[in-house]
Amino acid sequence: MINSNEIIDDIANKEYEFGFTTDIEMDIAPPGLNEDIIRFISAKKNEPEWLLEWRLKGFAAFKKMEFPKWQHFEMPALDLQAVSYYAAPRKKKQLNSLDEVDPELLATFEKLGIPLNEQKALTGVAVDAVFDSVSVATTFKGKLKEMGVIFCSFGEAVQEHPELVKKYLGSVVPHTDNVFAALNSAVFSDGSFVYIPKGVRCPMELSTYFRINAQNTGQFERTLIIADDNSYVSYLEGCTAPMRDENQLHAAVVELVALEHAEIKYSTVQNWYPGDKDGKGGIYNFVTKRGICKGAASKISWTQVETGSAITWKYPSVILQGDHSEGEFYSVAVVRNKQIADTGTKIHHIGKGTKSRIISKGISAGHGDNSYRGLVSVGPRADNARNFTQCDSLLIGNQCGSHTFPYIESRNKSAMIEHEATTSKIGEDQIFYLNQRGIDSEKAVALIVNGYVKEVLNQLPMEFAVEAQKLLSITLEGSVG
Amino acid sequence: MLTIKNLHAEVEGKKILKGINLEINKGEMHAIMGPNGSGKSSLASVLAGRDNYTVTEGEVWFNGKNLLDLSPEDRAREGVFLAFQYPVEIPGVSNLNFLKTALNEIRAYKGLPALEAREFLKLTKEKQQLVDFHSNLMNRSLNEGFSGGEKKRNEIFQLAMLDPQLAILDETDSGLDIDALRIVSSGVNKLRDAEKSFVVITHYQRLLEYIIPDFVHVLYNGRIIKTGTKELALELEERGYDWLKEELHLKESV
Amino acid sequence: MTSDMILPFYQALTADVTALAAQATVPSTDAVQSIRRKALERFTAMGLPTLKTEAWRYSNIQRYLKEFPYELLNDAAPVAPTVAQQAAIPELDCYRVVLVNGRLQADQSTLPEGKGITIGAMSAYADAPGFVTYFNQQHHLETESLAQLNTALFADGLYIELAANTVLDKPVHVIHVYSCTAHSFIQPRHLWVLNRNAAATIIESSVHPETTAVAFANSVVETIVQENAELWHYCVQQGEDSFREVSTTAAQQFKDSRYHHFSVTLPGTPFTRNNTSVALNGSHTETNLNGLYITNKHQHVDNHTFMDHIMPDCNSNELYKGVLLDDSNGVFTGKILVHQEAQKTNAFQQNNNLLLGSKADINSQPQLEIYADDVKCSHGFTAGQFSEESMFYLRSRGIGEEAAKALMVNAFSHDITDAIHVPALQHFLQEQIAEIMNN
Repeated sequence: MINSNEIIDDIANKEYEFGFTTDIEMDIAPPGLNEDIIRFISAKKNEPEWLLEWRLKGFAAFKKMEFPKWQHFEMPALDLQAVSYYAAPRKKKQLNSLDEVDPELLATFEKLGIPLNEQKALTGVAVDAVFDSVSVATTFKGKLKEMGVIFCSFGEAVQEHPELVKKYLGSVVPHTDNVFAALNSAVFSDGSFVYIPKGVRCPMELSTYFRINAQNTGQFERTLIIADDNSYVSYLEGCTAPMRDENQLHAAVVELVALEHAEIKYSTVQNWYPGDKDGKGGIYNFVTKRGICKGAASKISWTQVETGSAITWKYPSVILQGDHSEGEFYSVAVVRNKQIADTGTKIHHIGKGTKSRIISKGISAGHGDNSYRGLVSVGPRADNARNFTQCDSLLIGNQCGSHTFPYIESRNKSAMIEHEATTSKIGEDQIFYLNQRGIDSEKAVALIVNGYVKEVLNQLPMEFAVEAQKLLSITLEGSVG
Repeated sequence: MLTIKNLHAEVEGKKILKGINLEINKGEMHAIMGPNGSGKSSLASVLAGRDNYTVTEGEVWFNGKNLLDLSPEDRAREGVFLAFQYPVEIPGVSNLNFLKTALNEIRAYKGLPALEAREFLKLTKEKQQLVDFHSNLMNRSLNEGFSGGEKKRNEIFQLAMLDPQLAILDETDSGLDIDALRIVSSGVNKLRDAEKSFVVITHYQRLLEYIIPDFVHVLYNGRIIKTGTKELALELEERGYDWLKEELHLKESV
Repeated sequence: MTSDMILPFYQALTADVTALAAQATVPSTDAVQSIRRKALERFTAMGLPTLKTEAWRYSNIQRYLKEFPYELLNDAAPVAPTVAQQAAIPELDCYRVVLVNGRLQADQSTLPEGKGITIGAMSAYADAPGFVTYFNQQHHLETESLAQLNTALFADGLYIELAANTVLDKPVHVIHVYSCTAHSFIQPRHLWVLNRNAAATIIESSVHPETTAVAFANSVVETIVQENAELWHYCVQQGEDSFREVSTTAAQQFKDSRYHHFSVTLPGTPFTRNNTSVALNGSHTETNLNGLYITNKHQHVDNHTFMDHIMPDCNSNELYKGVLLDDSNGVFTGKILVHQEAQKTNAFQQNNNLLLGSKADINSQPQLEIYADDVKCSHGFTAGQFSEESMFYLRSRGIGEEAAKALMVNAFSHDITDAIHVPALQHFLQEQIAEIMNN
């Protein structure tokens, strides 16, 4: 078991370990998006020719594509030529003590119960890493290596395991998939790479490690996870602590490949800066996440808790290609102030006996606008496919919006599909009942909301679930008038 | 302990309570009876602080504090407990979690530390036995899918757990069969002591065969028109309310 | 925009817009002509729907439009009374209105008469107060290009207005006869107004005489249900192989009104699209949208509904059930929109499907779009087969597989047929369903 101090050590050492700091002062590409920039990025990363070509194909596709129009919000004007597409990973401004950190941020950390050292690391305060940090990190990596698990930065994987990257890169999210995926393919900065060999059950959540990664991989990260036959991995992305970032647009791509009898569990807690009360600032989180259950009886499960970002636009999807494979999507999306979330999932049943389960819980408060958008499609070969979808919305206040846009397509008569959706508000009589038992309205809402999202939070690893629960309470503070 | 003086209240502009006066001392059991629509449940709601009721006149003092100034949760924390006539269902919130939250909120208000998990469970077991509440209901969502009897028993169980000074039972007997009524009443009787007071609101005399009141009040048209002892309840059972109404009209016309 | 494939027909529709508009001369009031011009502009801007049009993503109408070189037909050839008789419902005591390509056939009709009842050809009532107030006022029509085309080009249809407190004693059976000698595109247009406290039952059927020429009807019905009025509106669709249909119903409801809409689509017509939309312009209304589609062969049925909750305290209930046989395909889109002012809305929607054909498919899009917080809304969708257990139970009692299936389909459609309040119609449809399942 790795405790939180060790996590900090990891944070403290990671940059050093991968040598990010060495060229940090140089190399910032001029703003603009063109082939030269892409060649420059590729050269900087010392990439093989095939990867450069792949990036250029992505760029060619990007140029032909338009921004989507079907979403339930107005796409903000994005000036993609004003962005600099290569900057060596930014090192945060080092502060000398927590006294220099925004007190509001600290108050939130306090409420979330994030340990002091971790607070320091997250806010960029120099940590006195007097703990035996090097050995911890080594033990961590060493243990994985012993089992044959590859877990490294994307850039490192390109150098060390080109055959795996070449085989699977773009195999789930092709560079032509959508405009943001095409952009990512052309200019992706870095990200994570995971390979779990045959028959290996990854002994730890690959979470704590990533807590660090998330800070430095920039706005176009790329994640690729491959679980070989009979393997298992649980991967956690994100962090309950509020993440501030100067980049407004985040267009990440995540690809998951599960081979025969393999299982991938991917959990996300997203708490990017949502902008102020009037919706100014805030991150646009336009992510393409997709997994393929390639092998028979494989399983991919997405769990997400989305509380941040000004706009969240993501549809973690599963292609159920292997017979008897299984896909799951568990989601909690909270919007308040002027936040917008347009999120959901796509499940494609292709193989026989494939199963899927979708549980989506939307919570809208303030002037927030929350949409569930999902597709369940059953192909003609998918005999006896099963889907169950439950998609609930909870409204707090009368200025918010809540929408569900499911698409259901069945081409197989033996398939069984069930979809249920409800919308409700927190009832005054419920609040009064809890008041009468001595619980104030704020706590009452938290209690009801936690009950409402329990089914999703239960999917998260224990520690993470507790944090996520606190995060929800804090997010909804002051929502009940 | 509780003093109600000339209490007037209305809901949506309609006058419901028209001058209630009532004095309740430590350890007393008061029954409030009356025909439908007389204002019995409204009185309970006003005391608990339901916000669609507007108090237009009068005062309510509870242990020296002006109850009407307090929020519903602070009234509960001061020790006023309402056993609801129709307990709400709250899907997803487990009974256990709910009770723990409530108990610790009340303790925090009194400056007491939160109960340790072990102590809490011990207390839960003890009170479950006291009021004959099935432990398998503890992990279920609050009142969700409970039968009418189970809901009412849950109210009494909560009463035992939260240990208030004043318990108002709003038609706790309605919708109960005789066995359930016996269980609920015996729970209430076990909780009676010299410190705790009860207000039992009921439509039927039969509850008062199990829970013997010290005083019986008859509420009619928003006012208490007669106060007596348990014999009054019997008389009401035999003669109905009409003789009282007539008596009242006679008085008023004089 | 339109694809190249259907250019000739599209050109015919738009190339000589003025000439087309000139054809549509009746009703000729200035108000109508101005509405027509605007509609034509909207139609030209939108074009005919393609698979890229979100509301048509599962219904390839182009395939049917390009099948034949259609002619626009705005006239009625004489048709023998026996043709309309084919659509008669046994034992139904009713008034009868026969329309041929939208033109009222007075000699074949038995119209209700009496104080407060206005009924006749649209072309004759363009000055009527109900027409002036309500014609083309349901704004949902604006987003549907085919409805705009209808507005621009319609020649005639049925106008009904019931004055306040007028209650029709018998159902009105409206029989649409679509008759043509060449492949034709026909646009009938109707307006039915029920004023305060009025009540009526209207049953629509259509018939297309056996012929080699294909009729494509693009019809629009506007219904107005004023304060405390009640309309029962049944649409029975049992077309022929040489018939295609886009049927748009746009209803407006006012305070305390009740609107019950049934659309029952049975085997026959290869392509049916029903656009049903209800705008709730008053509070405390009740709306029931019921749909039953039993389809076979390569039939395509698309029910596209829109419940627009504009005012508070309204209740709507939507239930669409489908039995898809052979290679047929079903589409259901149900949108519930609850505006911010529409507090205390109760809106429920359910779409259940039995996929019985080996190549049958279903596409469904139940949508909730909600901007008010004190509401109860839900939608549900299922697609599947009979429960094996029930089938086994029936068979173990000696009922053959086919008979068991028929029994189960009957039970499945019961929710809809049971809600039909005209016994003769209910009986008729139950018989029809039994017959389909027994074949």
